[in-house]
Amino acid sequence: MARINPEFTDELKKYGAFDPNACYNCGNCTAVCTLSDENNSFPRKMVRYSVLGLDSEIKASLDPWLCYYCGECSSTCPREADPGELMMSLRRWLIAKYDWTGLSGLLYKYLVASVSAFILLAVAVIWFGYYESFHLETIMHYGHYFEMGAISVVFLFILLPNIIHMWWLTTYKPGVKVPLSAYFRCLSDLLVHMFTQKRTLGCDDNQVRWFEHFVLVLGYLLLLFTTVFLDWFSSQSLFVIILGYIESVIIFVVTFDFIRRRIQKDQEISKHSHPSDWFFVIWLFLMGLSAFFVRLFVDLNILENNIWLYLVHLIILVQWALIIVPFGKWTHFLYRSFAIYFATLQQAAIKQNGKKS
Amino acid sequence: MKQKIGVYICHCGGNISDYVDVEKVRQSIEHDEGVFLAKTTMFACADSNQKEMVEDIENEKLDSVVVASCSPKLHLLTFRAVTERAGLNKYNYVHANIREQVSWAHSDNKEGATQKAIQIVKAAIAKVRNAESLEPIKVKATNAVAVIGAGVAGMRAAIELAEAGADVYLIEREFFVGGRVAQWDDLCITEETGKELITRLYDEVMKHKHVTLFTGAEVVENKGSVGNFTLKVKVTPRHFKLNCISNELQKAIDVCPVEVPDEFNFNITTRKAIYHNYPSEYPQLPAIDMKNCTRCGECEKVCNSIDFSQKTEYLNLKVGSILLATGFDPYEPKHGEFGYGEIENVVTFPQFKRIVHYCDDKLIYKGKEIKNIAYIYCVGSRQVDGENKYCSRYCCTANIHTAITVKKKYKNIHNFHFNRGIRTYGKAEIWYDESSRLGDIYLQSFEHDPPVIEKRGDQTFVRIKDILTTNKELEVVADLVVLVTGMVPRKDNSIANLLKIPKGRDNFFNEIHMKLRPVETVIDGVTISGASQGPKNIMESMNSALAAATKSFELVASGELALEPTVAKVDEQSCDWCGKCEEACPYSAFDKIEKDGKFVARVNAAVCKGCGMCLPVCPVNALDLIGLTDEDVESMIDALIPTV
Repeated sequence: MARINPEFTDELKKYGAFDPNACYNCGNCTAVCTLSDENNSFPRKMVRYSVLGLDSEIKASLDPWLCYYCGECSSTCPREADPGELMMSLRRWLIAKYDWTGLSGLLYKYLVASVSAFILLAVAVIWFGYYESFHLETIMHYGHYFEMGAISVVFLFILLPNIIHMWWLTTYKPGVKVPLSAYFRCLSDLLVHMFTQKRTLGCDDNQVRWFEHFVLVLGYLLLLFTTVFLDWFSSQSLFVIILGYIESVIIFVVTFDFIRRRIQKDQEISKHSHPSDWFFVIWLFLMGLSAFFVRLFVDLNILENNIWLYLVHLIILVQWALIIVPFGKWTHFLYRSFAIYFATLQQAAIKQNGKKS
Repeated sequence: MKQKIGVYICHCGGNISDYVDVEKVRQSIEHDEGVFLAKTTMFACADSNQKEMVEDIENEKLDSVVVASCSPKLHLLTFRAVTERAGLNKYNYVHANIREQVSWAHSDNKEGATQKAIQIVKAAIAKVRNAESLEPIKVKATNAVAVIGAGVAGMRAAIELAEAGADVYLIEREFFVGGRVAQWDDLCITEETGKELITRLYDEVMKHKHVTLFTGAEVVENKGSVGNFTLKVKVTPRHFKLNCISNELQKAIDVCPVEVPDEFNFNITTRKAIYHNYPSEYPQLPAIDMKNCTRCGECEKVCNSIDFSQKTEYLNLKVGSILLATGFDPYEPKHGEFGYGEIENVVTFPQFKRIVHYCDDKLIYKGKEIKNIAYIYCVGSRQVDGENKYCSRYCCTANIHTAITVKKKYKNIHNFHFNRGIRTYGKAEIWYDESSRLGDIYLQSFEHDPPVIEKRGDQTFVRIKDILTTNKELEVVADLVVLVTGMVPRKDNSIANLLKIPKGRDNFFNEIHMKLRPVETVIDGVTISGASQGPKNIMESMNSALAAATKSFELVASGELALEPTVAKVDEQSCDWCGKCEEACPYSAFDKIEKDGKFVARVNAAVCKGCGMCLPVCPVNALDLIGLTDEDVESMIDALIPTV
């Protein structure tokens, strides 16, 4: 038996939900959604759960992650309850719930917390530069170490436990009996969706959105690889240097377009922007741009005299790696693909056990 | 005996002629005795054919007409009018139904259908042969109307009748006017209070010198019929002198030691034996409830206006028409129905309205502050097992409006609506919208799976299998459970028995025809309005009150009434009063009179409906029905038996 909690929508509104209470259960949103199917029917069910405040049901659901936000539901909603943005808010809320540290929720709900964290890290980097007497080589050296260290620490101590937490909430706790072999069999789904986001193609809107996003993810992951493992900033290999330039250009060009769309609000998906959305696109844009110029200054041999540029880049990098990646919107990269993985596992369990448990 | 009968047989497009050989029918009757003219026609009701009939009657000097077509319910009046237009008395027209009774019923047997049609037309011809011209019965009508019930509907009707020029007796059983509306606070859509509406209507009523208001008054006897009713009215005194000093009145109320449940507040509070429903209630004079008064005399000591010498009076009022506006009772849930009477924080919607009225900053019931309110809809309406199958119409809207009021008036209120489908029809849909946007939660179940109210520890739970959430079992902790009760007929509806007003399956007063004659009853001269007829909101009550006022006024306005002449008649020679006809008559149309040294029955033509119930019970066959005599019927039977 589930207990109704009418105050849940107030909580949800802090994550950006608009007016789920306007919903009168017509179900147009679910009918119009091209991704919703009989196994995972949304968004009406999620709207209803939100209105009733059934938080454990929402926590156990993968539906918010299976929505790729084309915005059709919001534009066809006769009550302007904005189910698409509700699904978006539920994703933010779920990120906060998966996060064992509780910091995600804090940063999502209170803008002042986010801004303070950003300022704190910026001051820390500047202080570090000062501590090292603004010696470029040392700072760059530690910057490179930071990249490697941050990746492993964030992954091991934040992201991995959070994904296990997500699995526990959505698969283990509801009592889904997944055959062990399925975990291996379905791994391909996880990887395919993680690197292609091909589910977006199921949305009914134009496919430019998918292509841009795909190129961005590819560029981002490659740039990460190029800077961390091929040490782009110090590399002498012409191939690596050019590769890094191309990747960073891709990042700031595509994110620039994303920012433009969020400003113009010409599509349903870009109509509502939570601060966390702005942080994500702007920081990604700045990262691409600053990385591009750092390498350019290296090639022009003027970085030594413009150490501020590297410091700016490092500040952005540190903020990105310690705020946005572990606690912010970056996590959707993992949760979306793991949600599809878990959903496939659940299907395998149903096949094995004959019925939905 | 008619000599020049015109017979018209209708194809009804093909509705009749596809199964009945209408030409054969025509041929079979054209040589019948008295038939002068027999025609078939594609559509008898068409304008062109009506014109042709008028010409035939005028040119051929027809003395009577038969049309064989559809049901008389559809076109009897049409063809009667045709004969009248041609200068013939309309009772020289007889209608034969060969569509509903023949072609549609026997589409599988064309030959048999044709044969049946022939017999039916022959029977109609046999009847029309004996037809006589009849004139309507004229009755004098008193230009006065009794309006029973001084709620919104009654007062509105009274004003309307008075303005039209009739004398109005407005008879109210309670000591105060306003009925149920006086009990409501904020009203939906207009954002007025019930009291404001009542004040406006009362002021208008009192302005008219043609309206006489009786309070504490009840009709106890009814004599006469349309145009000339005599009502005996019992008027209970208030036991107060008219001119009195107001501060003494309050003192009298204060000293009264008797406390009884206050029905005005649906028994959530008590009142004294000296009472008014609320300060400045109309008429602005308290009354003493003698059923509960102990005659202790305390009030007389502090107030000189009290007068226990006032006696119950009986008045005889002569009126031409009676307009009923007696209203409704709120449904009283059975003991244990959704926890009513068993769990202390379960109340009805009317009680809830009064609780909201009395609570200012905080909503408090039985000493406990209320935050979560669960509303259970359709209590006493749309019953699966009970008698009340109908929807009470006003409750969804009224309750949602109240839920919004509550949410705005007090802090941190959560409303949970356990419904079976919300029916905020018409303009009230905006309230549903507003309430849901304010965060009210709507949960829905089917009629066979209603929500369950349970007390566990000191908390009250409402549980439902919500069909809007994939039939998930959900529960709410409720501080107050409001049973949204519907409307039922007045418990004491003695006036209906007195006037013999028929009731529908729902036990509300029944009109003649829902759509075409919505405020008239089969009792001539008695009209119905407001919620006495069935669940209505105030707007609908007003509409029906105005309609009933118009119909009542129409009866009394000209001072004379023309009634159907097709009534029973008594052969005074053979009648020797036995009283059987009086027993059989559903309308009390018979009187016992002395004539030529013996008692005989007399028919009150203004009351008789010509139903014929009295005819078969008369042991000496002294009764007959004008327009449908034994002779008529026998000749029709003869014609109906097929010639072998």
